[in-house]
Amino acid sequence: MKRRTLLKGAGIALLLPCMESLGQVSQADSPRRLLTIVNHLSFYQPELIPQADGAFKNPPPLLAELSDHFDHLKIFSGLNNPAVQNGFGHTPCVGILSGYFNKLHRKNRLSIDQAIADLIGADTRFKSLVFQAGENLNFSQISWDKHGLPVKQIDSPRKIFNLLFQVDENEKTQQQVLAEDRSILDAVFAQAKSMEKRLNATDRAKMDEYLTSVREVEQTVKRRAYWADRSKPQVNYELEDIDRKSVDDYVGTLLELAVLALETDSTRAVTVQIPFWEGFKEPALSGNYHDLSHHGQKAEKIKKLLMLEHAILKQINSSLNTMKQRTVGNSSLFDQTTTLLTASMGSANSHNFDDLPALVFDSRMKTAGHRKKKDAPMSNLYLSLLQQFGAEHDRFGESTGSFEVLS
Amino acid sequence: MMRLRSWITRFIFRKANLRLALVSGNPKRKRGTSHDPFSVAYISNDPWVPQWRGLSIAVLLVGFLLPRALCADSKLEKFFAQNCVKCHGPEEQNGEVRLDNPVDTLFADQELLESIATVVEAGEMPPEGEPQPKAESVAEIMQLLQKRIFAMRPDNPLKRLTRVEYTNTIHDLLGVEFDFAGLLPPDHVEHGFDKFGEAHLMSPHQVMAYLKTARFIAERVLPDAKPKTRTWEFDVRHFHGSKNFATGGGGDYRDGEDYVLTGFRPYRSNLHFSIDPESHKQFAVPAFGVYRLEVKAHSEKSNEGEVIGINLGDGRHPTSFRTIRRIALAHGSNGFTTEITLKANDQLAFTFDSARVPGRSLVKIPHKGPAMRFTHLKVTGPVADQWPTKAMKAILPKPNMRPTELVDHIALLLTQRPIMAEDRKAFVEIARSQKNSGASMTATARSVLIALLTSPHFIYKAESPELTGVERAHRLSYFLWNSAPDTALLNAAKSGVLRKDPTAEVERMLNDARSGRFIDDFTRQWLQLDKVGNFGPDVRVFKNVRRMTVDSMGREGRELFRHLLKNNMSMEHFIDSDFVMVNDRLARFYGLPAVKGDAFVPVKLPEKSERGGLVAQAGFLKLTSTDFATSPIHRGSWILKNLYNERIEPPADVLINEPDIRGTATIREAILKHQELESCSRCHSKIDPLGFALEYYDPVGRKRSEYRHVEELPVEREGTTFTKKIHFTKVPIDAAMKLPNGREVRDLPTLKAALMADRERILKGIIGKLISYAHGREVTRADRPHVDAVFESIAQENSSLRAAIHAIVAHPAFGRK
Repeated sequence: MKRRTLLKGAGIALLLPCMESLGQVSQADSPRRLLTIVNHLSFYQPELIPQADGAFKNPPPLLAELSDHFDHLKIFSGLNNPAVQNGFGHTPCVGILSGYFNKLHRKNRLSIDQAIADLIGADTRFKSLVFQAGENLNFSQISWDKHGLPVKQIDSPRKIFNLLFQVDENEKTQQQVLAEDRSILDAVFAQAKSMEKRLNATDRAKMDEYLTSVREVEQTVKRRAYWADRSKPQVNYELEDIDRKSVDDYVGTLLELAVLALETDSTRAVTVQIPFWEGFKEPALSGNYHDLSHHGQKAEKIKKLLMLEHAILKQINSSLNTMKQRTVGNSSLFDQTTTLLTASMGSANSHNFDDLPALVFDSRMKTAGHRKKKDAPMSNLYLSLLQQFGAEHDRFGESTGSFEVLS
Repeated sequence: MMRLRSWITRFIFRKANLRLALVSGNPKRKRGTSHDPFSVAYISNDPWVPQWRGLSIAVLLVGFLLPRALCADSKLEKFFAQNCVKCHGPEEQNGEVRLDNPVDTLFADQELLESIATVVEAGEMPPEGEPQPKAESVAEIMQLLQKRIFAMRPDNPLKRLTRVEYTNTIHDLLGVEFDFAGLLPPDHVEHGFDKFGEAHLMSPHQVMAYLKTARFIAERVLPDAKPKTRTWEFDVRHFHGSKNFATGGGGDYRDGEDYVLTGFRPYRSNLHFSIDPESHKQFAVPAFGVYRLEVKAHSEKSNEGEVIGINLGDGRHPTSFRTIRRIALAHGSNGFTTEITLKANDQLAFTFDSARVPGRSLVKIPHKGPAMRFTHLKVTGPVADQWPTKAMKAILPKPNMRPTELVDHIALLLTQRPIMAEDRKAFVEIARSQKNSGASMTATARSVLIALLTSPHFIYKAESPELTGVERAHRLSYFLWNSAPDTALLNAAKSGVLRKDPTAEVERMLNDARSGRFIDDFTRQWLQLDKVGNFGPDVRVFKNVRRMTVDSMGREGRELFRHLLKNNMSMEHFIDSDFVMVNDRLARFYGLPAVKGDAFVPVKLPEKSERGGLVAQAGFLKLTSTDFATSPIHRGSWILKNLYNERIEPPADVLINEPDIRGTATIREAILKHQELESCSRCHSKIDPLGFALEYYDPVGRKRSEYRHVEELPVEREGTTFTKKIHFTKVPIDAAMKLPNGREVRDLPTLKAALMADRERILKGIIGKLISYAHGREVTRADRPHVDAVFESIAQENSSLRAAIHAIVAHPAFGRK
């Protein structure tokens, strides 16, 4: 395949966008970036989590896929999201990054990727980008903004590529259109405000979602107007047709695009959700991913499930390697990026939303290894990450403290 | 005491009108054809009676209410204490339910109230083996619970237009057939439907999508100049396809004057056309508009109708290949003409959808099956039957309009509701500043149109507590046409006829072609048959099930609904019937006498046939299966959810405890093992028997007498062939199981008999589905009066589906938010 050959070959020639205008890439103190990866159907934990606490000796097979990065990896196990309500099929998965789900509320709470994007996303073309390998269903939303409203999750590699790199032919009229957009947003905001007065309490809450959304769109339009006159980065990357049922194709491509987005400084926070429903079918195995995840402890199903999980981790491993090879400013992309890998469920076989694994990759880490955190809130980890990115918060979601991630 | 009093007062103030229903207190009021306890007690159907009158009456009644309510509350509390608190109290909180709190705190959770009523009524709680309360005390408690439920009418939060509603509305208002698939995000389906305001969470990207879509529309319906109509002609010299692809069938090839397609390969190169014979540059649509396609094509080596797909996407590398239309070509036909709305840069490609999907063998075998020969294609467009277009005339009826006039006009055009003066200012400002900057009238109208299409005025369907005439017309038209009301309906609404007697309007609307959208949209969501092609069928196992057979399966439920509605037939046919709706392919699949053509017709079933009814439809049976295996749990829960309108969700505290099904040979053993867990058995004792009775039908809905377990063998290369081999093991079927009421079901006929015995519950379930869809919210027990009244009023009319729709609309509840 062309796409892959290109990547493995000469590497990627990049023309970074307006470095001078931002002026940070050449500085010795390179910006911090965040890559969040969530596997919806989780991993078969007996083959991922080491038995013992501490340094990685005899890593289980799934974890071994990531052995290239063992010096910079801490794996936390047994985490819990106490404010995620159990039951209701896959729906509670929406709370993995926010630590919250209540079936009576459609709105959620700020998710960690967006919390960090709010801190580090001001200077780039996109505050954050959220990708997902699969159709958008009501339980696939994991990224939530500070109002608890869903953040757009893009499932098409083509759309992502166009957003990042394609030059819009109508660029000349762009500013004019954006100016008109702003006056239209003002008008619809005013109308919504005026209409709101005539509504009852429930309807007012609905209208409030609209008003909040319009305010957010205004920010996006402003950002677009700023960036419309600045050219997009050029990359030597060709997007090939992909098979949506192939892990290597779909997940691989999304991860490549995630790395490219970070490398070109198009954004500093990328979230990738991998497979959840439509299921992957690799050429060498039949059965769909969701079906296999309900393995009922049958050895033959687990064997097939593990094939998919190995394939996913291989892709993640290769992305981390790519990040080590790419230099931005005077350090590698890997050095600048905190990577969080977690799963929406403890086990997709039983649909439990506790016993969650979280893997953090960070080159600044002094000691690596496994940390058992039985029933500690996931939000404790999130709080530590948030603080690393410069937040002064002493709480995030349901946190009761924070973890030592870098020590 | 004080707390209780303040709670009651608060409650009364909040729901002053509804409160009276409880106060008036006679639950045994005779239920007439159009009355339920609460419409009688309703203060007034006239929206002009000031609310405060109701309030003051309610306040006066507090004194009478209190002792009664107190008494009722203590009775409920006593009942819970005696019968429930042992497992749902301080010691244990099974299902995370705790009932030792005062009832007013408990019932703040409406869903808890619902579930208590449901399990007590069905006798599911207290569970078997525990001491049971007396029948009369259950009856009394049920009455108290029901009263509470009626008083707490569920909220019906503000709804926005769904993507389908938006598309239809724009079509009906402006006469343009847009496809917003890539522009508007899809709507989430919750509790079966995407129309529920509760689930319509607004978000920045949704607003951004509205803005982009509005611009997309405005730029296309209000162009600055008339687009030039052109004609393109293509023949065999321009046609290209996957001619070199070895397919086990010879691939597609050029033959004399024709280009011949022999297989269906959506992800491979498909028939596309270059702009001139020498070049490979593909034809792309130059501008948005309606294009007429005149296609000369015919099938060969076929003795039935064949199907051609019209697709968008690069025919050479179909990345985002999407079928936008299917054309059923009758046997012996020489081609077709169709009109289709396309946008700039769209690329067209044809596929042979009824052909078989070629195997992956590299051995070239001459193709024997049907082939489709394309001879000629003529494209004309954009065609406009008039200039200025209908949309231009509708938006700009006069060449010059003042800003306020323009805003008022477009606002009224879009929603049939005048925009309030205080809502209007900002839009007028847009028009004014455009005009002042010297923009043309068309450009000004474009800006106003974009703004109004993005505004809450257009995208939300606001409803008053008691619907106004226009709001009622909207509810009705989004129910039966899935689109905006037309002038006749609005007139009927404004004159009050619609409220007094909607029969004539409902009849007119059902006879209008637009009712087809209701049938499509409702059945798509109710039966989920659009998902029937999501899995398999695996060609190695189900050799004779082709794509178009699966496509026909997906249409059967919808066609049955259409047939019953059109012919005033009983809803019982959803449970069982002596005929089926089939087309050529489905008739052959079911082994019925041959039917000609792609259109569905009723065919009487032979005496012995088990078919008939939704649960015997191949579409349902396939939908609930995976590639190789049936899933009794999916089948059973589909029946409970969609026929009984039951709400089944795993309870909050159930950790499925990693079901361990090692060592179980058959699916029955696996599931029975799972039923052993107490937490699962309450629902699974209902779900599993329904599903198991259908085990004599395989994953594609064919009758079988034994299981064929499919096992894939390791890939063996034999020369150039790399087809994976599979191995079957045969296992006998044991489908008999007892329903919770003790009745045994063992196969499809006994299942249908059991369902027929539950006829009333099922028909009420279906009525409930229709009401949910019409009202845009989930139907709860509080809607029982509405459901019961509809059920009773159509009893005299053979429980006809059409009569049910009339009765739903005629009921007073239809006029309430």
